[in-house]
Amino acid sequence: MDLPNILKLVYRNIKVNVDPGTLIILIGLPAMYLVFFGYGFGSMIPTTGGTTAFLTFLTPGIMSVQCLMAGTVGGSMLWADRRWGMLAQLLVGPFTRLQYLLGIMLTSLVFGLAGALVMLVGAYLLIGSLQLTLWGALVAFGVIALGSIFFGSLMLLIAGLVKSNNAYNSIQIFVIFVVNFASTVFYSFNPNLPLPIQVLFQANPLTYVANAARGGFVGSFPVSDIWQVPLLVVETVVVLAMATRVYVRSNISFV
Amino acid sequence: MVLQPRESLTMSGDSTEQVIKVENLKHTYDGKYFALNDLSLGIKKGEVFGLLGKNGAGKTTLIKVLTTLIRPTSGKLSILGMDPNHYGKEIRRRIGVVQQGESFDFTTVEGNFDIYAVLWGVPREVRLQRKDELIKMFGLQDVRKQRSFDLSGGQKRRVQVAREMMHDMDILFLDEPTTGLDVFMRRELLDSIKKEVRQGLTVVFTTHNLEEADYFCDRVAVVDQGKILAMDTVENLKRLYRGKKTVEVTLSGADAAAFFAKLGEKLPNSEIKVEGSSAIILAEDSKEALQRIMELSQVSGIQVEWLNVRKNTLEDVFIGSVSRGEGAE
Repeated sequence: MDLPNILKLVYRNIKVNVDPGTLIILIGLPAMYLVFFGYGFGSMIPTTGGTTAFLTFLTPGIMSVQCLMAGTVGGSMLWADRRWGMLAQLLVGPFTRLQYLLGIMLTSLVFGLAGALVMLVGAYLLIGSLQLTLWGALVAFGVIALGSIFFGSLMLLIAGLVKSNNAYNSIQIFVIFVVNFASTVFYSFNPNLPLPIQVLFQANPLTYVANAARGGFVGSFPVSDIWQVPLLVVETVVVLAMATRVYVRSNISFV
Repeated sequence: MVLQPRESLTMSGDSTEQVIKVENLKHTYDGKYFALNDLSLGIKKGEVFGLLGKNGAGKTTLIKVLTTLIRPTSGKLSILGMDPNHYGKEIRRRIGVVQQGESFDFTTVEGNFDIYAVLWGVPREVRLQRKDELIKMFGLQDVRKQRSFDLSGGQKRRVQVAREMMHDMDILFLDEPTTGLDVFMRRELLDSIKKEVRQGLTVVFTTHNLEEADYFCDRVAVVDQGKILAMDTVENLKRLYRGKKTVEVTLSGADAAAFFAKLGEKLPNSEIKVEGSSAIILAEDSKEALQRIMELSQVSGIQVEWLNVRKNTLEDVFIGSVSRGEGAE
């Protein structure tokens, strides 16, 4: 049986990118966040239940980080394909530019969900127990899938617009840093924060993912945050459309 | 060892059928300079067609257009009877392309073959057999488990060409596949490709190496500044210049350009290609050319440092075509 073209590309992307370097970025870094921030902040932040309670709070946040990390891997895939000639080679094969783009996007999605699952298992091993209903898990993984598409599209868009690999890497590091730490991944939103940082928190799509995933874990979602998931859907559609436009309609330079 | 005959993807079996038709093709990257400038050609099924030209002549741009990677600015184009503007994907499904630059997945030689086969939908049993045959045919047995990026330049080129042959195709585009290879490796690679060509494949091959075109191609087109300057079988192109001999001359001192300009006036039936203080002259009458050179040398006081007369080669045809093209500008 012949696989659909997009699935062939996903197979190829996974096969080529499951290497130690990618796995360290994808799983190693968030796993370290889970361990070091979990125990470090857990011992410092006065929480009822101590470190275990903070780890429980942190788990859906770290799972959400996976969609950002998977997105950056997607952007890197595109750069690697440009750098090593495979983008041009694939585009003279039986694939359309849109299929190539969706192939990377789907690969980001697979990496995002797989990474989140690994973080969930890691958290379970650290904490010893996790309260998560089937419905809650569906909500958490669903929103992480959506976030993976958003960040996958965003990083592909940046990779398409930036002219050099070094520039792309610098932007990627900046995005990872700002998006991770100006979000509710590691700590709750605090209205006492300076206004610019409050705005950054509220405008950060990773905040929406982390809040929704956390809502799935605790089984409830604050009414004040209910607008976040629809906004994330809209943002995802817009960024996906922009990334698609960059790749399908414009001339891609083959480095 | 020769690969098992493969099922042709082309429906028609007519060997005179033109699988590539190009009419008045133009392409510009910047709106000013035309990398392809009113270029027309036709390539028959089963033909090994060479695009011969110096660097920047437009060969790679033409390959990019023919393989649907870029759209031409204007002109008519038909690949396997289809218009690339509307049937790009269908065309790409029936062609193979070995690009000028490296293109590898970050895995082993075998891994590259396997991934490529999956991408092209080659059934598992066929893939395993074909991979072994190609690895053997292209002499890659010792490096099959090595990462592609760790291979030498010659091995990488062989992997790229062999990998492309994992899937069935009607036309194979080879964009300077022997660049960077030594003379032995070139010959080995071309021999390996030749075995495949015997299966009836149409091959479009770009090179600036004239011996290669002579050895490998049924027909060649000499391309310069995006135009075709000459197009025929290698033998016919040589025959055009059979009566002529090539005079090579190098002058010492300045004002060589004026010397060669005057020489051109005195030898109206000869073609002169000037490169600094040297020139290659395709002369109707080599004795007359020698005489005129010596006369001019005496009159102008410019010394002739080196002078050589020899029979023409394909390289001379190439130089002659290019210099005629430049003269027509």
